[in-house]
Amino acid sequence: MRIQDIGTFNTVREAGLAEYLPSMPRISIGMGTCGTGNGAEGVYHAFATAIDQRGLDIKLAGVGCLGFCAQEPLVNVWMPGRPLVVLHRVQTNDVDRILDDLAAGEVPRELALCKIEDWDHLTAHVKFGHGFPDIPVWRDIPFFRGQKKIVLRNCGLISPDDIQEYFAVGGYQALYKVLIDGRPEMAIEQIKASKLRGRGGAGYSTGIKWEYLRKAQSDVKYIICNADEGDPGAYMNRNEIEGDPHSLLEGMIIGAYVMGASEGIIYVRAEYPLAVHRLTRAIEQAREYGLLGENILDRGFKFDLELVEGAGAFVCGEETALIASLEGRSGRPRPRPPFPAQKGLWGRPTNINNVETWYNIAPIVSKGPAWFTETGSTKSPGTKVFSLVGKIKSTGLVEMPLGTPLKTFVYDIGEGAMNGKGIKAVQTGGPSGGCIPQEMFDTPVDYETLAQLGSIMGSGGMVVMDEDNCMVDVARYFIEFTHSESCGKCVPCRVGLDKALRILNAFTDGTASVSQLDMLDELGRMIRDTSLCGLGQTAPNPVLTTMRHFRHEFEDHVRAKRCRAGVCDELALSPCENSCPLHMNIPRFFQLFKEDRLEEAFESVIMDNPLPASTGRVCQHPCDDRCRRTTIDSAVNTRDVHRFIADSIFNSDRFDAMVERVAARKLEATGRKIAVVGSGPTGLTCAFYSALLGHDVTVFESNPEPGGMLRYALPDYRLPKPVLRREIELIERIGVKFIYNTRVGFDLTLNEVANLFDAVFISIGTWKESWVYLPGTELTGVVPALLFLEAVQKKEPVPLGHKVVVIGGGNAAIDSARTAARLGSDVTVIYRRERKDMPAIKEETDAAEDEGVEFVFLATPHRIVGERHGNVRAIEVVKTRLGEFDSSGRRRPVPTDEIQRFECDTVILAVGETVDLDFARASGLKIKESGTIEVDRYSLETSRAKFFAGGDAISGASNVSNAMGYGKKAARNIDERLMGVRRFDLLLPDFEYDQTPPAQISQCPRRHVKELPAAERAQNFDEAVVGFTADEALEEAGRCLRCDVRKA
Amino acid sequence: MPQKKISIRIDGELLSARDGQTILDVARANNKFIPTLCYLKGLSAVGACRLCMVEVSGIQKLLPACTTPAQDGMSVITTTPKLTRYRKIALELLLVERNHICAICVSNGHCELQNMARTLGVTHARYPYNYPRLPVDVSHERFVMDHNRCILCTRCVRACDEVEGAHVWDVTARGIQSLLTCELNESWGASRTCTSCGKCVQACPTGALAEKGWAVEEMTKRDDNVSRLAVRRGGLV
Repeated sequence: MRIQDIGTFNTVREAGLAEYLPSMPRISIGMGTCGTGNGAEGVYHAFATAIDQRGLDIKLAGVGCLGFCAQEPLVNVWMPGRPLVVLHRVQTNDVDRILDDLAAGEVPRELALCKIEDWDHLTAHVKFGHGFPDIPVWRDIPFFRGQKKIVLRNCGLISPDDIQEYFAVGGYQALYKVLIDGRPEMAIEQIKASKLRGRGGAGYSTGIKWEYLRKAQSDVKYIICNADEGDPGAYMNRNEIEGDPHSLLEGMIIGAYVMGASEGIIYVRAEYPLAVHRLTRAIEQAREYGLLGENILDRGFKFDLELVEGAGAFVCGEETALIASLEGRSGRPRPRPPFPAQKGLWGRPTNINNVETWYNIAPIVSKGPAWFTETGSTKSPGTKVFSLVGKIKSTGLVEMPLGTPLKTFVYDIGEGAMNGKGIKAVQTGGPSGGCIPQEMFDTPVDYETLAQLGSIMGSGGMVVMDEDNCMVDVARYFIEFTHSESCGKCVPCRVGLDKALRILNAFTDGTASVSQLDMLDELGRMIRDTSLCGLGQTAPNPVLTTMRHFRHEFEDHVRAKRCRAGVCDELALSPCENSCPLHMNIPRFFQLFKEDRLEEAFESVIMDNPLPASTGRVCQHPCDDRCRRTTIDSAVNTRDVHRFIADSIFNSDRFDAMVERVAARKLEATGRKIAVVGSGPTGLTCAFYSALLGHDVTVFESNPEPGGMLRYALPDYRLPKPVLRREIELIERIGVKFIYNTRVGFDLTLNEVANLFDAVFISIGTWKESWVYLPGTELTGVVPALLFLEAVQKKEPVPLGHKVVVIGGGNAAIDSARTAARLGSDVTVIYRRERKDMPAIKEETDAAEDEGVEFVFLATPHRIVGERHGNVRAIEVVKTRLGEFDSSGRRRPVPTDEIQRFECDTVILAVGETVDLDFARASGLKIKESGTIEVDRYSLETSRAKFFAGGDAISGASNVSNAMGYGKKAARNIDERLMGVRRFDLLLPDFEYDQTPPAQISQCPRRHVKELPAAERAQNFDEAVVGFTADEALEEAGRCLRCDVRKA
Repeated sequence: MPQKKISIRIDGELLSARDGQTILDVARANNKFIPTLCYLKGLSAVGACRLCMVEVSGIQKLLPACTTPAQDGMSVITTTPKLTRYRKIALELLLVERNHICAICVSNGHCELQNMARTLGVTHARYPYNYPRLPVDVSHERFVMDHNRCILCTRCVRACDEVEGAHVWDVTARGIQSLLTCELNESWGASRTCTSCGKCVQACPTGALAEKGWAVEEMTKRDDNVSRLAVRRGGLV
């Protein structure tokens, strides 16, 4: 039926409304490529069959996608007078239930995602109805909150296959208006006034571009829609076309009329068959209704559209290459000028706009430029559709006003990281864009700001990366893509990207040299500044931005040959080994142990980690988070297996023999003397390896016994001291000398030490409590956590009251709480954030709770109240609520006006510890602002010759394994500095063991060590956890997937 | 119709030019040196080698002199430390891309790539060599095509298409795999469109296209003849 006047126009519209809001219930299924991929087609057929069988009066429709990819397939259910309810993750077996509920005028609540009571199609306002008060309105669920649907105004609601439904929501009215109005220049003024910018990525003013073509003199002019969407991870154009093809046609017909073009071409990726199919049908329908072809809407205007499928090259998205491709030549760009508006397709003036740009036209024409500029930022009004993907909970297509800060995308809409990992960066703009680090998430997303950061808006791809992403690998991936998509015409892009890829490959396989960092940077700039087209000019962005914001990762790859994220295969044995600060060869000791070679397993363990029994009890076990077994069930319990191996040797008569075996590995005496200041885990580790390397090692300790924090801060129920003593005995027996009760800096000056030794390693701990400013800290009964724990260890009298409040959420806080509980007090822990944000080991927190420790979260101390004699009487805390996300990716606690009071007589402060470095200040060592010693990240050398530092003294308060990692690194570097050659690897043992992955994956679930009953263990300081039995340890070792084995 | 006169500055010197001339045209007409490899007078300019990038005041981006039209009042700077650095990198990239072994090349001593490296002071390449294995087409009775020496400047493609009108040559594949191709991937000897005029050989800046029968250093070329013919046919001046 041809539309010729307002009468026929309205008839079609009425017919469409009867389809869209029929007098019977309507079920519409999201059937974009995304929905279909998740089984929407099956759901559709199930509905069709069931409706048919039951003989129901229900209208069934396939629609586009609402954008919430993580919840596909989406099904909209509507009954006259009620709201449209969006059901999520609908499977075929839900169909009967939905129809049953529908018959009763209900919807299944567990499938309901949200409801839509009314919808602004911009060109029409549709009221669906009211009801279902318990289902949230769509705007109130995080994914949709803040979204503004201009481009996606119809997607997921109307049927893309039915032009009448498009008419029903006000479709083609804007076109009608423009044609009736008959003043193209006015329409261009409107587009110019709206300040709409090209949505293909470069952001050029659409109005100005249109004016160029309008003014160009030629008998034939062309307009082109660029739908050659090729960025990995971007699929907004596909979704727009699949959900609402007529909006594109309307935008283009309006454009053709005002620019004076008679022919239009839609250049669409051949990889989008569904989009091609729906567009083809839409064009046919438009011709049928007299919206394309001769005499459009009876206004004497002639225009037709042709659909061309792309040939699959990424570079064909570049306008001059696209034109070349349309002309049948190979898709290679040419220099501009002349611009397409001067000389385009077949040498005629041509306008090219991105799909999304065309989608904005009809709303601007019908609602006016003033309405459009209300949304978005001043320079970049309107919205942009982003494909939000990567390491976040809610992924999908989101349409947001331009200028929205990046953190809104990541934390509000995306709902933050999966499995509580830390988010590192967002990559915007696909392979032409750059990475924006987490510290810059306040950045508003618009053309200018992104460009300033070295990224681009591009097509609107947003890939969120977390700590498991290696930024060097990310850069390498994108360069690999642009390298293979380069057309090969200009030298910088063709050869430069090839060289950049080779250099990046050298980084990821650990063969790069430090000088290649600068070489890569210079090459990247050269490619950016001299390439012929946009592809080459933007291709280095991923490299340049990652090198700017994540240079330390590049340096790690070159200088330490380490990939912290564990992505670069060549740089790690296995994910667990990579995550371990000591780089223990975990699969090796598992395998040796499984092969019943306990002594060798022990040797393997102790050569990697000189304190295997202590760490087996108290390590923060980063290996758990990286274990690949988590993708099957849960991580292998590595910590408790090496505890078992260590305990079996330490507590047996084989101990002496094993000491001999380790001592036999000692290299020939070098005659070099090394002083280690502090006998904590860092110092012990450095001393152990230095002694094995043949040096004469002396450890200075201010306390009467060695062990540092392990000895004096860790409570006995976590680490019984005989265990630690046995380990230190081994270290002593391989030749390390200990001098106790000697404080370097007081009893012996640093200069004296420097004169006596060839190298000095400073590994003092963080024994000083960082003091919070809080009224009342001067009162009697306020104690710092570490002093409290130390006093308990030294069996000094501790004035502990009946009611104890611990402030803090780290391990020191939990240790204090559990110790105080064992001393007979009632304990409450107050922490300012949420439970999941606590830095303490989770098992410890759980155990504390079982032992009767109370927890108060989201509360910040306000003041400590004293009584007359200056003793603590109570503490007042301000309750907080969760505010915006801070730079650590956690929600910042914001104080409320609610104050809570806890009566107590002791307050233990565990809010963080710092290094007491007064002695170092006097010695010429450079101290950082954070109060730690400044060292070279890789060599651990301080500003003073001979002096090295490691552990908490350089990192601030950390944990045992990190501290030991520094000790190991220090031993390696000190040796290299003293001897002039790398000798450390000579110490590493070599074992022959089975190198085949398990034929069958063990079905055993993760074993946990047994804890004594809470009531029993809370009475005394006996070890609270019972280690594995031999069978349990063996079973656990058998769960290892052997990620270390590489197929040849 | 007499062409409009404009004036532009190149490296500070005020020069008169005709509307429609590129920056490179004006520079050449006034004996100002801007390095080029893919440009050949008379043939259409493609802006592929990127050696002719120049700075124009008021414009952030670098612009290729061979395709950018001179505009009245424009001020061009042809040499800055950055431009020199970039040009050297571009040359280094060309030198490592294929197997440019001068000591065994017929064009040794008469090679534009070699001369340009000498002029710009490129003494060695810092990037790893690709050493691709590329074929040599000796099927034509008078000429040789050696892909190992090709820099993909496409001067042969344009000389054959725009001057001879045969369009025997084109470029196939893309990116680093790009390769000069004869007809639809035929051997040169089997080509039925090739007129054996030899213009491509004369236009080639390196030893990639050469006449048979010459030993090392013996192949000299006259691309000015190609230019003269091209200009006569109405090509760009």
